[in-house]
Amino acid sequence: METIRGRLTAWYATALALALTGFVVALYLSQRHASYQELDRRIASEADLTAGILAGVSRAGGAVVQRDPAGRPELVSELTATLEAVPDFLMITDSLGQVLFASSRTQLIFEQFEQLRRLILEAGGRRTEGTVQVIAGGPTFRYVVRPFGDVVPVGGAVLAGARLESVELGLRPLLSTFLLTLPLGILAAYVLGWWLAFRAVEPVDRITTEVREITDGRSLHRRLPVPLVKDEVGRLADTLNQMLNRLERSFGALRRFTADASHELKTPLTVLRTGVERAITTPRLPQEALAPLEEALQEINRMTELVDTLLTLARADEGTAPLHREAVDLKKLVEETRETGELLAEEAGVTMSVAAPASPVVVAVDASRIRQLVLNLLTNAVKYTPSGGRVTLWLEQEDGAVKLGVSDTGIGIAAGDLPHIFDRFWRADSARTRTSERPGAGLGLAICKWIAEAHGGTIEVQSRSGRGTTFTVTLPAASVAHPTVIDSSR
Amino acid sequence: MKLLVIEDDRTVGQYVKRGLLEAGFQVDLVVDGAEGLRVASEGHYDVVVLDLRLPTLEGREVLRTLRDRGNPVPVLVLTAQDTVDFKVQALRMGADDYVTKPFALEELLARVEALGRRPKAITPPVLRVADLVLDTGSREVRRGGSSIELTPKEYAVLEYLMRHPGRVMPRTLITEYAWDYHFDPGTNIVDVVITRLRKKIDHGRAPKLIHTVRGVGYVVKA
Repeated sequence: METIRGRLTAWYATALALALTGFVVALYLSQRHASYQELDRRIASEADLTAGILAGVSRAGGAVVQRDPAGRPELVSELTATLEAVPDFLMITDSLGQVLFASSRTQLIFEQFEQLRRLILEAGGRRTEGTVQVIAGGPTFRYVVRPFGDVVPVGGAVLAGARLESVELGLRPLLSTFLLTLPLGILAAYVLGWWLAFRAVEPVDRITTEVREITDGRSLHRRLPVPLVKDEVGRLADTLNQMLNRLERSFGALRRFTADASHELKTPLTVLRTGVERAITTPRLPQEALAPLEEALQEINRMTELVDTLLTLARADEGTAPLHREAVDLKKLVEETRETGELLAEEAGVTMSVAAPASPVVVAVDASRIRQLVLNLLTNAVKYTPSGGRVTLWLEQEDGAVKLGVSDTGIGIAAGDLPHIFDRFWRADSARTRTSERPGAGLGLAICKWIAEAHGGTIEVQSRSGRGTTFTVTLPAASVAHPTVIDSSR
Repeated sequence: MKLLVIEDDRTVGQYVKRGLLEAGFQVDLVVDGAEGLRVASEGHYDVVVLDLRLPTLEGREVLRTLRDRGNPVPVLVLTAQDTVDFKVQALRMGADDYVTKPFALEELLARVEALGRRPKAITPPVLRVADLVLDTGSREVRRGGSSIELTPKEYAVLEYLMRHPGRVMPRTLITEYAWDYHFDPGTNIVDVVITRLRKKIDHGRAPKLIHTVRGVGYVVKA
């Protein structure tokens, strides 16, 4: 899930896991290093001690070397017994490289034995140390060589060595502890991260939920609870509340405007209307006086329509434009508008036809609004279809939806204009408008869109320039199941 | 029939009063809510025409008080609000009908007549112009004895013209009568209806009964 909480958790857990791993690796490496140093110190001191013992015995006048039964020189038995007690491997040679002693506890194969002896010879009476692996894959030795030539009559050197595996072996418990705790640590980091992120994001989630519940003009009085602590979230809530204040004020202004405008615009229109109407119906008025009065009456009606439409759209924006829904047979409604469509078409020299299913199509809609929608679409289609063309008003029932539309073979709408045709006051360039006709106010399709959407439906347009246009209104048919009177707003 | 008009706008009030007087009603005009309530309660009116936005006492308060006092006088509400819920609200408060401003006088008269249950005799059920006969009851049209089939809109336009024989009726008023009062087709479809009516009524017959008054409208006369 793409959430801030998820990202925060991932970042936190990754950072903590990296830190933990780095710490563990560093700890292990330093422990390993210390162990190696410890080993080096031990074998060095064992070699020094052995050389010291040999020198001490020699200085005290005691024998250091004896001959074995085969006549080869070897360390005297007392010293052998003492040196066998040293835990690491010891090898003592004389100045000729003859081995006087080798710890019997360390099992060595011949090559290893010989290799170690060679190391003493190569040292050539110098103090050396190093690491050696005698055969590939075999044990690795850490060794020191200490000569004692000047203090012991036979000369020679001591090699003390130990297998490195012993160090690795000693580190193994530490390693297994680390391998066990590291995943646990990462898991803990993840859980902790999740919790921390939850704590951090939860107030934002709460604000989102509350803001989402403020849907239209009627719930705008609500405010978000502001926490006492003025942290980031507190400031966010404060800012949103200030925005809500401004919104509420402008909605209130709009509401007052729509109420006032109804009265302020319509009262003078009523005065005009009744005055002109009375004048025009005065018996025996000359034609020269009648014609301008008729024109005035027409203009008053256009003005009235415009005011009505503007107010309806203003209320729709506010969320208070109501629908009076009741069970309506759309087939009957379509049939009723057929004659008006035919008359409009005949005036423009266009053929008009109706395609509706044989059975009634009953849905819960606001009949007068749907009639307005159909008439708007018909007027529009006839207006943009040249003489000789065809306009079809059609109705279809589908699963869960009712489709109602007007198709024409007219001049179509340019692709670039399509996204704008439902905008208020939008008008295509003058090429679209027949010069003989007065253009409308550009609100017809905007109100169609509102009517379709207020019913929970949609309005769509398909058009090809020069080939014709189809407007399709889709209304949810679910309301068929409840053909009772429903008062509802959008 | 006696009517009371409660309307704060004097110009609208005067026009409404004159229109109703000319249609043969007795009319009293009051321009203030509290005064309107007093007059409506005391006088015996057949219909009260009430503007909903009034000084001193709101129209809806006048209506509610009238109904609370058990006054059953039919009330026709004048309102600038055209929303359906407002109309429903007005009807629930006890109004009998409503007209939305700006209204056609014809519409106002029709609704006042309907509320006042004016005797049908005043508007005769059968309209005649020369040998053209239109029966508003059965919606039958005959000329010279032969029956003429008309579509709903053709019938409505002809009926309107025949209700005012000899008088020039403007296109706008004809459109309003035959269609919804709030439908503006943007073109003169009344002309199309008239062409059709002429074919059915005047074609091959004399005298021609439907006459055009250029730039204004039509008149039916012998």
